Amino acid sequence: MSELKLNSVIAGKKELEEICNKLISKNKNIKKTVSICCGTGCIANNSLEIVNKLQQLLKSRKIDNAEIKILKSGCPGYCEQGPLVKIMPDDILYTKVTPEDAEEIINETIINNKTVERLLFKENGDKTIQKENDIPFYKKQNRILLGLQSKIDYTSLEDYISINGYQAAAKAFSMKPDNIIGEIVDSGLRGRGGAGFPTGRKWEQVKKQDNTPKYIVCNADEGDPGAFMDRAVLEGNPHLIIEGLIIGGYAMGAEKGYVYVRDEYPLAVKNLKKATDAARKVGLLGKNILGSGFNFDIVLYRGAGAFVCGESSALIKSIMGMAGEPKQKIPRNSVKGLWNKPTNINNVETWANVPNIINYGSSWFAEYGNKSSKGTKIFALVGKINNTGLVEVPMGITLREVINDIGGGIPEGKKFKAVQTGGPSGGCLPDEKLDLPIDFDSLDEAGAIMGSGGMIVMDENTCMVDVAKYFTDFNLNESCGKCTSCREGLSRLSEILERIIGGKGKEDDLLLMEELSEYIISTSLCGLGQTAPNPVLSTLRYFKDEYEAHIKEKRCPAKVCKSLISFRINPDKCIGCGKCAKSCPTNAISGEKKHTHVIDPYKCVKCGRCLLECPGKIQAVEKVDTFAEAK
Amino acid sequence: MSVTKEKNKNGSVVVVGGGIAGVQLSSDLADSGYYVYLVEKTPSIGGIMSQLDKTFPTNDCSMCILAPKLVGVGRNPNIELLTHSEVKEFAGKPGNFKVKVVKHARSVDPDKCTGCGLCTENCPIQYKIQPKEEALQIPEIEDREEIDKIINSYKDLDSPVVQILLDINEKYKYLPEPVLKYISYKMDIPFSEIYRMVTFYKAFSLEPKGKYHFKVCMGTACHVRGAEAVLESIKHGIKDTKKDLFSVETVNCLGVCASGPVIVVNETYYGNMNSKNTAELVKKLIDKENE
Repeated sequence: MSELKLNSVIAGKKELEEICNKLISKNKNIKKTVSICCGTGCIANNSLEIVNKLQQLLKSRKIDNAEIKILKSGCPGYCEQGPLVKIMPDDILYTKVTPEDAEEIINETIINNKTVERLLFKENGDKTIQKENDIPFYKKQNRILLGLQSKIDYTSLEDYISINGYQAAAKAFSMKPDNIIGEIVDSGLRGRGGAGFPTGRKWEQVKKQDNTPKYIVCNADEGDPGAFMDRAVLEGNPHLIIEGLIIGGYAMGAEKGYVYVRDEYPLAVKNLKKATDAARKVGLLGKNILGSGFNFDIVLYRGAGAFVCGESSALIKSIMGMAGEPKQKIPRNSVKGLWNKPTNINNVETWANVPNIINYGSSWFAEYGNKSSKGTKIFALVGKINNTGLVEVPMGITLREVINDIGGGIPEGKKFKAVQTGGPSGGCLPDEKLDLPIDFDSLDEAGAIMGSGGMIVMDENTCMVDVAKYFTDFNLNESCGKCTSCREGLSRLSEILERIIGGKGKEDDLLLMEELSEYIISTSLCGLGQTAPNPVLSTLRYFKDEYEAHIKEKRCPAKVCKSLISFRINPDKCIGCGKCAKSCPTNAISGEKKHTHVIDPYKCVKCGRCLLECPGKIQAVEKVDTFAEAK
Repeated sequence: MSVTKEKNKNGSVVVVGGGIAGVQLSSDLADSGYYVYLVEKTPSIGGIMSQLDKTFPTNDCSMCILAPKLVGVGRNPNIELLTHSEVKEFAGKPGNFKVKVVKHARSVDPDKCTGCGLCTENCPIQYKIQPKEEALQIPEIEDREEIDKIINSYKDLDSPVVQILLDINEKYKYLPEPVLKYISYKMDIPFSEIYRMVTFYKAFSLEPKGKYHFKVCMGTACHVRGAEAVLESIKHGIKDTKKDLFSVETVNCLGVCASGPVIVVNETYYGNMNSKNTAELVKKLIDKENE
């Protein structure tokens, strides 16, 4: 095996291409590549154990390392079926692999070139599908960014260079900074963090400032609950972000970049650190990068668990070592940002798109998407959906396509109720809005926002008032407290919702909430406050009947709100097995063996354990409307 | 207040101290016809009450009670405010005192200042408000060398406080007060400033965590799949256990949405939780400890 270690500084474009070619020809010797998803999601399902087992087995069978390559890859997206193991060049995707399966994979697939039918993806429970791209989940996707994940080991610089890595940076150095920015403007790339501001225009503004030094920041403080696409890219392909930052730094004339990453993503921090160290070693970061005379370095800065720090001005304060409280928008960060110097902030996904645009040109990028929004976007499709995971689709695809075709619909044959986009600043859209194209402007119009890409699907068992309360409480907790309207307004909003959920709502509460929301929106300083009432407003707009059922009939249609439901044992169904009584934490259930059991409503804390304990065939425990019952 | 008829008596009163008592007294006196000089040492009136959130026992908003009174005093033509001033000496007898007041230099024209606070933000020596003598005492801590090492590892960073605190939080699983004081001393940052960071950012904890630390994901995906019941189940299960054994914390999203609801016990992830298997997990841990 010819050793090809990257230790010395890469002098220029030519040398980079040489190394790339050498790596490619070296990879031709590899007979099989086994890539195991080692993103946080799959690690939670024991994927590291699979890697260890495979490596041990290879060693004990004395199989040559140069022929079989085992790589830890970033998240390829299909988390529902994880841990995923992909074998190239046969293009076999094994799903839900356990460490015990490792031996069979080695024996059958690696040595005997056979497919293990048992581990393949099964459509509708019987038909097996071997190739990744034939699986319905992947069919409609355009995986420009996520497709790279399973090709490389996530911290290996060699692997990244072998897929033409850092060549966009090399190409950028041969261009004029203005032309690079022109390319970004022409591509129509808009900020992927949520607001959708045209990236090229942002860069132009920083470029034209005379004040130096300038800074660029990668906003990796992905705080939206239910969104993890930035994490996947950070973990799975950190060099892509570094390359994006180098290009941005060169175009805007910044010599220092910050990556502000959430501390809740330990693996992302670790991989980024490894990647920056490796890049620094070969001179891809530091002084005179690739012989261009351009100096650039990246500082990793860990966030400390404040959601508001995803807001640009709060993020800047946090990097400067203060509490992350937002300031007013003017002067903009592009004029006075970090240490009062011009600063450009972009989201992880935005930076990740930059190398591709430089490599393949703006017109290539603009082919994807629709009129107002270009390119592809990664969404985190989660909640009550069959295929949970990350999906990368071209902009302009409809919500229905994503949820039904890619997501595979709602589990257990339940009815779809709403999809929530844009995290705590977004809104909930009902069934009739599902034919909307996903782009910045259409979603905005419908009362939701694109946001960073969280897409949470809710079925008929989800109470929309409860969801509104959840997001309001979230925003209330995360409000920094600077603006009274946000701090106090959200408290009051939460109080009203609490009242409605508790069955004590008044009819004019709905009007009051609308009015209060308007005040919060118009008088808050930063994006958090200005969008915090969106979940309430959008649910009021599309699901008013649910609010009315809570207020007028004292009934929760989805049977979620605890004050309005009670648990009851159906005497016709109960067989008196006693399982529920045994598990009840408050001893509220009584009854003799083989006789009907009864729940004491005064002792019951409505934890729902009896419902889970009751055998699936019997289903004697049921939720009923407390107040309907009383009538 | 007795009113005497002696002719040489002055119709003015000096009130020393501009806290809530002084403010109330001044406006009462002014309303009863006296001319009031209100002397206050600090640059502004309001005192301790302006720093409080709520008042005992009614939980009324402190500022809501105080603010109208402050405005009243400021506007009252019969009250002269002498802020940033101190009484040096006084002589005379009741009804005819002579009081010497030292007015400290304010260096800002109070008529023009709008209180925007920009000057304090931009002052290059903003951290010197804390008395130096207090900061000079080196707090006694055990692992000073290790802490020094953490502090030194970030010396290239322009503003490393949060990063240092994160490392220390990881080391002890919480932030012990003596260590925070030591950092305050070492980095020459007021303790109050550090305290502000610690209470602002959610990752920090001022209380020690238990042997088994539960992190319950409260992200949206976990919420719609029933994370609330899981949290309650944990709380219910650990209710009667020793305090240092279990601790619970909620986090916003761990990004493991596919297997929600998710909980993390120390470093181990548990997916697809419900009230049933959570209670079983807690019970298992308790049994393990009792063995």
